[in-house]
Amino acid sequence: MPLRGWGFGGRSMKLHIVRNPADRQSNDLLEQHFRLRHRVFVEMEGWEALRRPDGRDVDAFDNDDATHLLITDTDGTVVGGSRITPLDRPNLLQTVFSGLVQGELPDHPSLGADWTRFYVHPDRREGRRRAPESAALFCAVMEYALHRGWTFITFVSSVYMIEHGTAVGWRITPLGDPVKSEGKPTIAAWIEVSESALANVRRATGITRPLMPIQALRSHVHEDRIFST
Amino acid sequence: MNADLMSTIENIQHQTSSNAILDIMYSAIGGYGFERFIISGLPDPGMDVRPFVLLSGWDEEWYRRYTTRGYVHLDPVARHCFSTTLPFDWSDAPYDKENDSPARRVMEEARDFGMDEGFCVPVHMEGGMQGVVSLVGKTDHLDEKGRLELHMLALYAHGRLRYLNGPTGRPAVRRGITPREAEILKWAATGKTAAEIADITGLTPRTINQHCENAQRRMGTNNRLHTVVEAIRHKLITL
Repeated sequence: MPLRGWGFGGRSMKLHIVRNPADRQSNDLLEQHFRLRHRVFVEMEGWEALRRPDGRDVDAFDNDDATHLLITDTDGTVVGGSRITPLDRPNLLQTVFSGLVQGELPDHPSLGADWTRFYVHPDRREGRRRAPESAALFCAVMEYALHRGWTFITFVSSVYMIEHGTAVGWRITPLGDPVKSEGKPTIAAWIEVSESALANVRRATGITRPLMPIQALRSHVHEDRIFST
Repeated sequence: MNADLMSTIENIQHQTSSNAILDIMYSAIGGYGFERFIISGLPDPGMDVRPFVLLSGWDEEWYRRYTTRGYVHLDPVARHCFSTTLPFDWSDAPYDKENDSPARRVMEEARDFGMDEGFCVPVHMEGGMQGVVSLVGKTDHLDEKGRLELHMLALYAHGRLRYLNGPTGRPAVRRGITPREAEILKWAATGKTAAEIADITGLTPRTINQHCENAQRRMGTNNRLHTVVEAIRHKLITL
């Protein structure tokens, strides 16, 4: 059955764009986000280098330049999230993962962003349909990237991301050879950002309405704080 | 990354038909010593695999046998896809050679069709669905680099085909049937013979049969009964 709109399965999800927040709600969401990241990437994926005694995955790139895209459920629980960092500042792709990059970025670094720490809440693994949270995150990142005027998004991930992304009609180009990292084939690549990429992922997921909160859409200057609704 | 693979990948992403991807795949896997392949979703136990097949590059007779006999549910290679995320050689797919005779039969019959060895890429999709890209041919010459390249190729092909098949996640029946074909199949569903349908519709029996065969070919079914059942299942006709 195709996923139709937001209210699938009786749940409705909401997108929050959190960057350098000052308000209480955004900080609460960010706390949930950092703890979920720790659970997913340290406990489940085994990325021991990220382990922290306080049980929160926070690294050097979770700074003022990072934007967190969070999906919450009707009761305000974070059910999925990811992080966007600019490519014209220090970022994961060009530091930790530079060994995976042999090719050129398709455009000036200021025209792209690095998409990292993508996860869905571990207790939300749905059955036989595109996981709605995953679908929402895909639509959110493409919508946000277009809004910011980027032309490409980079990522480093399991090679399976290639299949997930092409299956929603995205153009994905490798930045280097796939490499086995702890037994898992891993690749650095970029996704073309465009109106048609957004239209394709919306059609493929059935999430046809815009996700970004109105306040964010009205924001003119990138450096403004973008508050969640 | 090797330039051939990069351009193949780019090419796949531009294609808008399964047939075009068929040609690209034959050519690309040929470079690694593989001749035939199949790209498909893997259904739940007992289900017909045919609606899940995204692209078949198999010998037609083997395809017919494999799909009509439900071999996907007996095939140790298909089964192993549920247990691993990494590509594997067919010979690494475990089964009880002594006691699992259906599995052994599938492997032996595959060998009869010249399909002794192969390379299989499991595809895990979001939401828990399972798919496969399986290449037919020898694997002992493949190095790690070659395996990773084939893995990439498989994922691009599977992803593009999944995209082309639409948002339902299961490929729709390739093309619908014409109104005339629907009318005839509805009569067939009530048990009318070709002669009787000819009387009712004013067409000749020969034309009736031709319409049925056309629908059968387009839907990929094996006989008239199967055609009628599939048409009902896909709501192409209602009684």
